[in-house]
Amino acid sequence: MPVEVATATGTGIMEITVSKFELLRELTATQGVVERKTTIPILSNYLFEASGDKLSLTATDLDLSLRTACNAKVKKEGSCTIPARKLYDYVKLLPDAEITIKLLDNHWVSIRCGRSNTKMVGMAKSNFPSLPVFPTAGVVKIPAQVLRAMIAKTGFAIANEESRYTLNGALMVLKPESITMVATDGHRLAHIERNGEKFEGVSGEMKTLIPKKCMDELKLLVDSTNDVETIDFAKDESTLFFRIGPRLLTSRQLTGQFPNFEAVLPKDNNKHVSLNGDDFSAAIQRVAQFSDERSRAVRLRLEKGELKLSASSTDSGESEDSIETPYQGDGLTIGFNATYILDFLKAVGSGDVSLELKDPQSAGQLRPLGNDDYKYRYIVMPMRI
Amino acid sequence: MSEFIKTIFHVDMDAFFVSVEELFDPSLKGKAVVVGGQRDERGVVSAASYEARKFGVHSAMPLRTAAKHCPHAIFVDGHPERYRQCSEKVYEVLNSFSPQVEMASIDEAYLDMTGTERLHGPPLRAAQRLHDKMKLATQLNCSIGIGTSRLIAKVSSARAKPNGVLWIMPGQEAKFLAPLDVRDIPGVGKVMEQDLHQLGVYRVGDLAALQENVLEDRFGKWGMALAGKARGEDAGGWFDSEVGADTDPKSISHEHTYNDDTADSEQLESTLMRLSEMVGRRLRENGLHARTIQLKLRYQDFTTITRAHSLAEPTQLDIEIFEQVRTLFRNNWHKAAKVRLLGVHVSGFKGHSGQIELLDSTLHERWNKALTTADRLRDKFGESSISLAAGMKGGFRERTHENPAGLPGKGRSEK
Repeated sequence: MPVEVATATGTGIMEITVSKFELLRELTATQGVVERKTTIPILSNYLFEASGDKLSLTATDLDLSLRTACNAKVKKEGSCTIPARKLYDYVKLLPDAEITIKLLDNHWVSIRCGRSNTKMVGMAKSNFPSLPVFPTAGVVKIPAQVLRAMIAKTGFAIANEESRYTLNGALMVLKPESITMVATDGHRLAHIERNGEKFEGVSGEMKTLIPKKCMDELKLLVDSTNDVETIDFAKDESTLFFRIGPRLLTSRQLTGQFPNFEAVLPKDNNKHVSLNGDDFSAAIQRVAQFSDERSRAVRLRLEKGELKLSASSTDSGESEDSIETPYQGDGLTIGFNATYILDFLKAVGSGDVSLELKDPQSAGQLRPLGNDDYKYRYIVMPMRI
Repeated sequence: MSEFIKTIFHVDMDAFFVSVEELFDPSLKGKAVVVGGQRDERGVVSAASYEARKFGVHSAMPLRTAAKHCPHAIFVDGHPERYRQCSEKVYEVLNSFSPQVEMASIDEAYLDMTGTERLHGPPLRAAQRLHDKMKLATQLNCSIGIGTSRLIAKVSSARAKPNGVLWIMPGQEAKFLAPLDVRDIPGVGKVMEQDLHQLGVYRVGDLAALQENVLEDRFGKWGMALAGKARGEDAGGWFDSEVGADTDPKSISHEHTYNDDTADSEQLESTLMRLSEMVGRRLRENGLHARTIQLKLRYQDFTTITRAHSLAEPTQLDIEIFEQVRTLFRNNWHKAAKVRLLGVHVSGFKGHSGQIELLDSTLHERWNKALTTADRLRDKFGESSISLAAGMKGGFRERTHENPAGLPGKGRSEK
């Protein structure tokens, strides 16, 4: 075997050739996990590991890690680290051809493609944090599209307040035949449930808090990974694992107690109004233009045959709208943050929704009408107006 | 302004902290006294008696430096609660003289005495009465400057010290100011002074003689204000508002400097709890809710960072302020780096939006009740009578500073 770059640095010499298309696809998929602003420089790097006929790429920000792989011609097995953002920006600009990546002395990495030749400054591989290992037991298969849909319908309700730690994620509850996801920010709560599934390996109840960033990443990965029907889910004491085809997402677990949400689910909301989601959304958007900019308060007045919406602010004026409805019950006036209602209407898309109220101080409930695959409900606390 | 001549009093308590300490310990009278801490402690002088000032001791000077300048001085710890109580008494006296009172800091105030001649007599007689009443009610001396503007009143009270009155009669403003050093104008600091010196301006008279546009070209809007000030007018910044108008604070903050820098996270977080508690107390005292919570962190090498976060809903609860500040701290503190100073600052005072909580809907109510009770206990038994357990380890003596001379002072409860 001819000896080329013989001065190994103890991290193993690596030399591979990979197609630009495949490499860029994986670089794109992992960009979200690479830490942008970090005080730990190694986290801005990818870990590249070549063996067999695969190149595996790993990115991590310590909370979230993503390991993915692509086909490669491995001339010499080994590993290296490369600045992630720079590599991505550079590879994007390369022609569609084969790229040769080779580890040089002092962690430098050579990248050749056609007539382009670049050397990048890497870091010692030993600095790269070691990643948790996928457990061998307790793996649950979750249909990818089910998980994706549930994330889309709850993720927006997660608190952005970092200090409300246990609200920075959604609660996933797996039972042998059902999956439930709940998210709340303390003002509203999204709850979605799907029955009639079969989750092998789940006995009783398996509760997991999934951090928001992990949920966002999961959704992107399901969308960008071809031919993935199920996601392998597992966890150990501190880490969550999601295997989406060839990609493995790991996330630090949120510890702590998710609030007792069952206690706040309304049970006796007796004023039910059916509304067309699009009409409702359009009317709220119009009047909300004239709501107080910060509180976004809109007033809903329920009367026989009609739902009246209004908003006003000293700065911009006042606005009224009304929607016809078959409602014949008692009247009620209640205030809501327009953003909270619109978030839900956006998540359900078009179709009819049911607005279920009790009194001006109690939580309101919104449900889509007609979709039986999922039991989806959305609870919003009113505002004092 | 020319048609309607105002009468503004600036009442400045003489060596306030020292005088208050003398009330509690008469043996201090006539001696060199330094308030703020012990001679070998880190920290700065809050106030110095006139005797100590003769040796070059002034407020904001490090205590150890003061000890070098004036080795025989008596060093006493500050008692913020005493000063606040006395300040309240001072306010009561002032308030009985004019409805337009603005406490510029703990020991000085502006009074708009315009139109009170029939009640209190001409300015000098009113000042005499105020002097007597103040002495009777508080046993403290004050100095009073009288002028047609805040600026003149402020500058003249400094020249009436101690225990005097100085009235600059209408029309005499420019003549009074002309021989004074430009540094005597409130708002002119070291840097501005140097810039003015470069223009050949040393006295206020030199300043008044300059063309306004020269000042404007050189200092922008500030220059215009400066030109006005040189004529004895209220212009720029805080001088613009009417006395007694807009006394609401724009922000509230508390800081703590450690005697020994520390990297003990438990102690640091405990200090933050304590500071949050103090800020929360002031918010409730003023009936305010704050939306923006800010952390100030100074390391041993004096690198200082501030990090802020805005809440969805404004708060006045210690625990919510603390949760935010702690998150900011945990996200930004370089572990193991020793910290010299911590500060908690809140602003963005807004009303509550009316959003009702879904979870813990009674939590706020319960906290509100508990904290209101705690506040009442503090009113009665002092600030340290009750505190949250998490802040116990961060307990420290509160420090207060008299407004350094030359600073215009802020809102009454802002300091």
